[in-house]
Amino acid sequence: MNPFPERNPKLAWREIDGEAVIISPEDSHVHELNETASLIWTNADGKHSVDEIVGVIAARYEVPLVEAKADVDELIEVLSAKGLLVASKRAEVPAGA
Amino acid sequence: MGPQASAQGSLRPLNISIGRVPLSLVIPGPHLREKALTRYREFTANSEAGLPVVLRTDAQSDARPVHDDPNFSYVLDDASLRLDSSGAEFHGVRHEYALDSLIRILLTMVLLPQRGFLLHAATVVREGRAYVFTGRSGAGKSTVASLSPAGTVLTDEISLLRFSEGCWQAYGTPFWGEFRAAGQNEHYPIAGIYTLVQSAEDRVESLTKKEIIRALLPCVLFFTPSVEANQDMLRLMLQFVTQVPCYRLHFRRDYGFWNVVAA
Repeated sequence: MNPFPERNPKLAWREIDGEAVIISPEDSHVHELNETASLIWTNADGKHSVDEIVGVIAARYEVPLVEAKADVDELIEVLSAKGLLVASKRAEVPAGA
Repeated sequence: MGPQASAQGSLRPLNISIGRVPLSLVIPGPHLREKALTRYREFTANSEAGLPVVLRTDAQSDARPVHDDPNFSYVLDDASLRLDSSGAEFHGVRHEYALDSLIRILLTMVLLPQRGFLLHAATVVREGRAYVFTGRSGAGKSTVASLSPAGTVLTDEISLLRFSEGCWQAYGTPFWGEFRAAGQNEHYPIAGIYTLVQSAEDRVESLTKKEIIRALLPCVLFFTPSVEANQDMLRLMLQFVTQVPCYRLHFRRDYGFWNVVAA
């Protein structure tokens, strides 16, 4: 899994009442995220690591880190499969480079 | 009038104004110019020279939109448009219907920075205020228009909504559906927007911002692949739904819906 998930820059989005509405201009498809997925989405800036996002989710919902990590991993996988999240360039930099 | 005078006349810009967006159409052929004069006759009054829109008879093959192009281009069947900072060019326009379509597409781009957009919606004026009824094809826009008194329908198909004079206003357009009217070049403050649902009862339901955005987005006319422009459109839609009362209208396709809409 990409350790630094990043929002697909080819998408337009706004947060409405705490939930993200995302438009794919290429096909005019509209995606709507629930509150948890929206929290991941807004933190997926290519700078926050998955572990940091897990920390945000765990704190928001007051759940153990293990439980939050399972949810975050699953949602990142789903969002990536839909093309909403992409691999961050930061993740492509070799360690120690 | 001789051929030379006719040709000169056809090169004189036809100035129109739709939703307070002035356009100067340069139409090369007298036949198409006459058709445009007829179609936009209600929108030529008091109009001044505006954004130049030059019609070319040739087709343009390289007008496909690309993401990083700072200018806007769009291909519609055999016709196309290109918009840059100096004006717009329409290519391959052979009849007034293609001209009408390209003007609509052009307006979506010109209106955006002016806090305006086009929406698939019928608009009816009642006691000086505009009631906007939106929905996809078959939702009941034409039915609402047909159930409204003559002269009160601002449009039965495409509404032009923009923020001006301190509030959101609905403007008349020449873009009509089944009614095929010339349109009225007038504007009225918006009383509310109603997404149409056919039902066994007449009832108005309040919507959350997200619900109304979900209902409106498929009905907004927007054609650019630009992420930035789509971001601007989303921002504008959020402003709109925050500032205009938005409802879902369950209606029986008869006149009774006015009892709940204007209650």
